[in-house]
Order: sequence, then C-alpha cells, then structure tokens
Amino acid sequence: MNTDKHWYLFCYDIRDQKRWAKVFKIIKGYGEHLQYSIFRIRMTKKQLEKLRWQLTSIMDVEDDLMIVKLCPTCAKRIIDSRDGAKWKQDVPSFEVF
Amino acid sequence: MSINITNEGFFNSHFLAEKTRDNPLIRVMALHALAYCERLFYLEEVEEIRVADANIYAGRRLHEGLDKGSKKYTLELASQELGIRGKVDYICTNAGELIIYEHKKGRSNKGNQAWPSDYLQTTTYGLLVSEHFNRPVKELRIRYHADNKTIVIPFDLNKAKNEILKAVKRARELRSCLQRPPVNVPENLCRTCSLAPVCLPEEEHFAAEGKEKPVRLFPAEDERRVIHILEQGAFISKDGYQIIIHLPDGEKKAISTAHISSLVLHGNVQISTQTIHFCAANEIGIHWLSYGGHYVAALQRGAGFVQRHHRQYDAFCKPFFTTLLIARLCQAKVENQLKYILRLARAKRSTPVQNKKTLEATINAIRHEIKAIARIEKTLSKADDGDIVEYDKLTGEMRGHEGRAGREYFKALACILNLEKDSFLYFDGRNRRPPRDPFNALLSFGYALLYKDCVAAIQAVGLDPCFGFFHTPRSTAYPLALDLMELFRVIMWDMPLIASVNRKQWRKQDFEITGKQVWLNKEGRKKAIILYENRKKEKWKHPVLKYSLSYARTIELEARLLEKEWTGSPGLFARLRLR
Repeated sequence: MNTDKHWYLFCYDIRDQKRWAKVFKIIKGYGEHLQYSIFRIRMTKKQLEKLRWQLTSIMDVEDDLMIVKLCPTCAKRIIDSRDGAKWKQDVPSFEVF
Repeated sequence: MSINITNEGFFNSHFLAEKTRDNPLIRVMALHALAYCERLFYLEEVEEIRVADANIYAGRRLHEGLDKGSKKYTLELASQELGIRGKVDYICTNAGELIIYEHKKGRSNKGNQAWPSDYLQTTTYGLLVSEHFNRPVKELRIRYHADNKTIVIPFDLNKAKNEILKAVKRARELRSCLQRPPVNVPENLCRTCSLAPVCLPEEEHFAAEGKEKPVRLFPAEDERRVIHILEQGAFISKDGYQIIIHLPDGEKKAISTAHISSLVLHGNVQISTQTIHFCAANEIGIHWLSYGGHYVAALQRGAGFVQRHHRQYDAFCKPFFTTLLIARLCQAKVENQLKYILRLARAKRSTPVQNKKTLEATINAIRHEIKAIARIEKTLSKADDGDIVEYDKLTGEMRGHEGRAGREYFKALACILNLEKDSFLYFDGRNRRPPRDPFNALLSFGYALLYKDCVAAIQAVGLDPCFGFFHTPRSTAYPLALDLMELFRVIMWDMPLIASVNRKQWRKQDFEITGKQVWLNKEGRKKAIILYENRKKEKWKHPVLKYSLSYARTIELEARLLEKEWTGSPGLFARLRLR
C-alpha cells in the first residue's frame, strides 16, 4: 500500500450555492483554502480517491472540477503572492499546541 | 435467557432481529469476497474489518458517476430461500427481457472472460432478480472500464442456483468457525487486496517458509499526524470536517480532519461531545493524559472484535503458550538493553570512564541474566504442552531475571552518563510513582507517551488490552499494553532521551521540583513530546522481516505479529533487536 503524499491543487466551479457549500465543507476537511475556488491539499492516493468519490455524489454534470498533481519540485517552484514560503516547508508529522 | 415475543412490532427492532434470526442474510458483496479469497471473506464479514483503499473509492466513484439511463433500475433485494441480500442494477429491454448489468473499474480476465469473483457476484444478482420477478433473466453483462470490454454471459437458472447454494453453504461454514482460514491464494491477489496490511500474508509466508525477504504490503509510514494539546484551558470543537483548537489567548487553529490520526489531551483541555462523536465515527483516536503525564483514558468505539477477543482469551489461558511468550519477550527486552549499553560503552571508549569496573560488572550481570532466560526458553521450546507443570515457578524466575537485568541496566546507564553529583540531571537508578529526580521524571513521561501508542496499536489491531500475558492484571493500567511496551522502552525512549542528555538539551527550568517530587513543566513536556514524536517517524530496518518502516508503524506491526502467535503463524513476535 502506497502512503506517499503529494501536493494537489483542487479547482472547482460549482453553479449552485447549496452544492457549493457542501463541496466547500468537504474539501475544507482535506486541505487549505488558497483562493476563491482553489484549494491546496497534501494527500495520499487513497485520500484523493476518497475525496473524489465524496465529491461525485454531490456535484452535478454542469459543475467543473480540475485536479492538478504537483511533483515535489513543482510545488517548491510555485509563485504565491500571499505566502510563498509555505510551499517550501515540509509538512509536520505531529503538532504540539 | 429466553425471550417471548408477543408483539409483532418487536421484530422491527434491530436488536431483537439480530437475536432471533440465527442465520443472517449474506451480502452479495461478501460472496464476491469469498470467491476472491476465503480469508478476505472471513476478515470482512466475520471479523468486520473493513479497510477501504484507493481502488475501492475509485470503484465507488465509478458507480456514483454512471449515467443511469431510462431503462436502468436499481433494486435492493433479499431472498430468504437463498439466504442472501444485495443491491442490484438491471435493465429491462423493450422486449421485456431482464439483463443484469454490472460495472467494474478494472480490466477483464484476458480480454474475453469475467473474473470468477465477478461472475459469482453477477450470477447471484441474476438469481435475486429472477426470484423477484418470477421469471429468469436473459443474460449477465459485466462491463470492465479499464479495457472497455463488456463480457456477456448467458444465464442458466438451475446451474446458477447450484453454484450459489454451494457458495452460501461455504460462507455459513466459515461464519460459524472461530479460526481465521489460512492464506492460500496466489501472491498476486494479495498485492491488490485492500486488507493486506491487516492480514499480512507475506509475513505469514515468511514465517512458514523462511523466505528471503517478504514483499512489503505493510505501510511504512503513518499517513496522518498526531496532535498534542498541552495548553491548559484550550477547547477543541468541530466545524464541518475541520477540528478547531481554541487557545486561551483567543487564537484559533483549524486542522483538516483527513490529516489527524489522534488527539492527545494533556491535563485540563476541553473537547466537545460533537468532536468525540466525529472522532469515533472517523477512526481518530483521543487519548487523555493527566497534567503530570499519567495515562487516564482513551476513546474506544462500541462493541466489536468479538472473535479476536475470544481467540486472545483462549490463547492466554494456556500456561504453556504464555510462558513461552514471556520467555521470548524477556529475552528481547534484556538483549536490547545489553546491546544498547554495549553500544554506549563503545562510543565512550576514548574518554575515560570513572567507574569502569562497575560498568563491566553490570554488563556481565546482564549477560548472566540473558543466559538464564535463554536456558528457560530453550527448555520450553523443546518441551511439548503438558511436559512441564511448573509454569508459575518458571514465570516467577523469568520475572526475577528480567527485574535484575533492568536494575543492572539502569546502573550501567548511570555509569555511562557519568554526570557530576551536582548536575541537576544526576541519575542514580530508576525510581517512579512519583519520580524523585529530573532524569526519572523524563523517563516516566516518555514511557507514558509510549504507553499511549501501545494502547492505540492494540486497539487498532482489535485485541483486548485488559488481558495480557506477562504483567499481572491491575486496574490502573492495561497489562497487554505494558507487555507490548517492554519491546520498545529502550528503542523508542531511552535512546533518544540519552542522546538529548548528551547534547545538553535540558535545562533546570524545564522541571518543576516540589519537595521530593519532580515533574516536567509545560516547556519540558513540549521538548519531550517533540523528541519522542521525532523518534517515532524515524525509519529503521526490521532485523527479521528486513524491510524498513517507521518506529511508529513498528509498534502496530509487533501487535499484529503478536496476534499471529495464536492465529496460525507463530514465531515472528518479539524478534526485533537493536543492531
């Protein structure tokens, strides 16, 4: 079982407010909201498939979804006007508050 | 106890329905699993271990996203006569013929055949639909999306009925037995099986045949992270699929739940009921530790794992078996202690050690205890069940050897650390409950963290932590978790701790000294947690199974190997050693 993680960009266009709210909530459970309809998520293949499955049951044919998988080097090369540094950091395996 | 049911409505109650119907209906998907591998069927249907992997989610998405045409219908059907139930997709053609339609994500068998498990599944659907409409379906169609092939199979009612009844009979036989069926499918099936990390087929082959190196199907790393909350007065709530940590200074931290494996709450940290419910439903562990670092409680989901508990009780009731396990556990623990001391002594050879004589004496003493344990293990391995009756005496002896070795080990550590008497970390033997000096406080706190992970691993494997084989049952701690912990004390805490002491990472300000008792304060605990969690993610090569994995995963692996001691492939537990 592969547990390698990669960065993904999740971009969507949802044409209905109610569906949008549901989709937004679910993706929030996976990653970080970057711009209006763009998320960045670091996940395994299994988590990606699970998320895609959860979304298909909500989204309609008129909605769009685009998923961009970023290789580690691509992720480091991202130009982000808000906070470019976060793409270059490693994700912690634990957190202490 | 007998229950008299006078009211029809009682039957609607799920609770009574379970009690009154002795042969529950078998799901069609369970027959699919049965045709794939009998062990898979047993793990999923009887032990109720369900692990979804990427392929399963992709398959669900395929079904979710399919265009349901006007002539396609979905029905939830059950047949008392056959003893099965399931959700069927079928088509009714213009001519009124019934066709079963099943979609599969993968590719077909050689481009022109259906896989046996898919065949059995669709045949069962055919029978259910035939029975429901009281006329036989015409054919079965299985669409394989990966190579875009549709396999059409004509439907023969009598032949199908024979096949299904045979499968149902086998399923019922497996359901009623307590033992897990052995692994007896070709290796390539295991490679794509979602339950491989639980079933560990390769490790089983390895134990049986002494293969060179098992193909690793056990994940090397945790995919999710542990969240420790040390801040007193913090409050944890949930918002959608996020967990929000409200810190006392008003700051809020939101964490996506997909990335959390467990929450560890130290002291007075509040958590909302909704969050607890969510964690229980989504396999996120919660551990409560006291402010001083004592383990208090863990979140445990409702009933389950009955077969596994049953087998565990059975195994631990056999004195011969437990005595042998104890011998191996003690051997592993003491050998690791010795190996670590020797390693430290080697590293210190260039600098003069004051108490060289004492150190040598302790090393010899530990060697002596190892020999004594090894002797007991040897006699036990040679003996058969029933040959020896003095189990209590042997266990007592081994406890003595292990205890003496432990004392010598800490004496040796004190020699090697060689701290000045006036150093605040001066260490002169182990004491606890409560610890009386900073070094012992550090040891105790680290062991509490390790204990937490051992409990979590035992829960994940589905064993009962209340019933161990080495530690005597007490109400304050789980004996099985303490048993498992013996393997990891040196590797996961003593080693990183002593390295940090040598690096002079600790300050007097990290401790709270009240009279004779010493605790770590918030800063100290934070340092200790970082040290421990970093150790957990380090990878090492398992000396027996010869693949590398993180220390965090090693705990779960050892717990699974422990269960294998009584489920058919013994000999792999407690064989890990330091190099």
